[in-house]
Amino acid sequence: MEEIKPFEFKQCISILKSTGKKAHNLRSLREVAASVSDESIFHHTYQYFLKGHILEYTNDFAHWAGEGLEERALAERLSNIDPYDFYNVSELRKELLGVMDDYLNNFPEPREAMAGDEFYFNETVTFTFPIGLVVKNLAEFLIAVKYVDTASLYYHFYEARIRLGIDDFSAWIDQVLGKRELAAKIRGIDLFMHSVEGIREHILETIEDEVKRGMEAIGG
Amino acid sequence: MISQYAQIVPKGDVLLIQRLAEELQGRSFLHINSTKAGGGVAEILQRMVPFLKELGIDARWEALEGDQRFFDITKKIHNTLQGHPEQFHQSMWEHHYEINRKNAARLPLDADAVLIHDPQPAALVEFRKEGKWIWRCHIDVSNPVKDVWDYLKRYCEKYDSAVFSVAKFVKSLGIDEFIIPPSIDPLSEKNMELPEEEIHATLNKFHIPADRPMLLQISRFDRFKDPTGVIKAYRIVKKYNDCTLVLAGSPATDDPEGETVLREVKEYAAEDPAIFILLLPPFSDRDVNALQRAATVVLQKSTKEGFGLTVSEAMWKGRPVIGGAVGGIPLQIVHGVNGFLVHSVEGAAFRIRQFLNNPDMAQRMGERAKEYVRNNFLITRQIRDYLSIWYAMESKGKNIFEL
Repeated sequence: MEEIKPFEFKQCISILKSTGKKAHNLRSLREVAASVSDESIFHHTYQYFLKGHILEYTNDFAHWAGEGLEERALAERLSNIDPYDFYNVSELRKELLGVMDDYLNNFPEPREAMAGDEFYFNETVTFTFPIGLVVKNLAEFLIAVKYVDTASLYYHFYEARIRLGIDDFSAWIDQVLGKRELAAKIRGIDLFMHSVEGIREHILETIEDEVKRGMEAIGG
Repeated sequence: MISQYAQIVPKGDVLLIQRLAEELQGRSFLHINSTKAGGGVAEILQRMVPFLKELGIDARWEALEGDQRFFDITKKIHNTLQGHPEQFHQSMWEHHYEINRKNAARLPLDADAVLIHDPQPAALVEFRKEGKWIWRCHIDVSNPVKDVWDYLKRYCEKYDSAVFSVAKFVKSLGIDEFIIPPSIDPLSEKNMELPEEEIHATLNKFHIPADRPMLLQISRFDRFKDPTGVIKAYRIVKKYNDCTLVLAGSPATDDPEGETVLREVKEYAAEDPAIFILLLPPFSDRDVNALQRAATVVLQKSTKEGFGLTVSEAMWKGRPVIGGAVGGIPLQIVHGVNGFLVHSVEGAAFRIRQFLNNPDMAQRMGERAKEYVRNNFLITRQIRDYLSIWYAMESKGKNIFEL
């Protein structure tokens, strides 16, 4: 019998590092966003999901536009940018700058942020490590997903899309377990509409259904 | 010790700590601050150093020795860095340097990593030996008195890296600057689980009735904590909901204004039998713990704040918390998710009423608050971060590590 390639859970943890740059209005945000490191753009967009947040925004730029500058329309437009639509950070950066430019050209100049509410550009130092959890079938996978830290779910479900263009979970379920339909369901969970905890619940529900159906089929 | 924490804190934090400790096995890590007793830094170091030793890291903690004049000077440095003007002379810097020099002669400064806490021992860097030197700034230096900061900066720039608690506290120093928030210790007297009987006994001791919802603010009697604003909010709430208000704090010996503010607060409370103003003696951690656990809603209605760790302390106890949107409070409270941020007395009153009228929502937010603190503000996260930056500094230029 062919050996099944097990799924190894990993996790990433990021430590914040300051770039020393900040913006106090939309113009300076645009200016710094144009020149700051790729790592900083990456942190403020992709890694937004690692933080606890309300489902109103999808990246730090949108969050600041909404809460710091109180420019709702700009916040909505920035939130609509899906970072996973882009092949690399420079494409994503171009899109962010385009939205900011368009807003600056067509709307009255937004106000300055209050002192202390400026946008601080950060980047991260990231550590990736296996968490000592290896599973070989769907039932084990289900239990693991229930108990791993949110940072592990982030690593496999969000971050993997940047590395591989696809999340690790559905890739394994499809390619190793051969459950194409289930993989498609998991892949179809909308990243933007849930917190990482919400994603956990959806994955669990989807897999529980599948496991139950499998058990019923065996029971006849 | 590690096993005790492992039952409480995120698994990933413990794993990363263990992996980094394997990499840094047997190497030396020296912490230097200004005192072994009192203050948040000493509280955390008391736990962190034995924790690191248990991991096989040769951790040491030394405290600076100085005369009264030195500590008067460093108190002034502290105040000016937080934006309060003080008379400052060159001779004071000279004395600051002199005490640092004497300590450098006394203390073995040899270590693979040296973490210097706050401005008091900052000048030790002039006597640095081998190893990585890190300056850890625990205070809000976003609006310092310029001359004082400029002088201190000459020391800070000689470190390999600096660590600040919040992004907005970071000053540009031309070295690597990391952002590491402070943390609370879930096993300390202030945060450990308490039996119900003890919580009731504490309420009885202070004659606080347990038959009504209780609003609580734990803080020094300081105008920036806005205790009178809390009473105003309570009075608005009182028109709709019966409740008690507890304002509890320890007297700060280094704050001459404390007594004046306390008097003002008492006058403002004006004999309202449902307002309890408690002046707690130092080391009242268990009482603070019990009060936080007994509270229905916890407030930290500051108008200016450093990090405001009392917010995390209350959140860790699963309490719904309302905080002023200042300093480090917005890093702890995600508005509408695990608590509420407010900008006015009226805002505070409205959110208190929301919590009192929606116990389910209050409970849900309290549960999320506890999880948020578990993931972000426990001592193990801080240990993890210190080891991480030490490890990263040894491979300068890299920002992704696979362990």
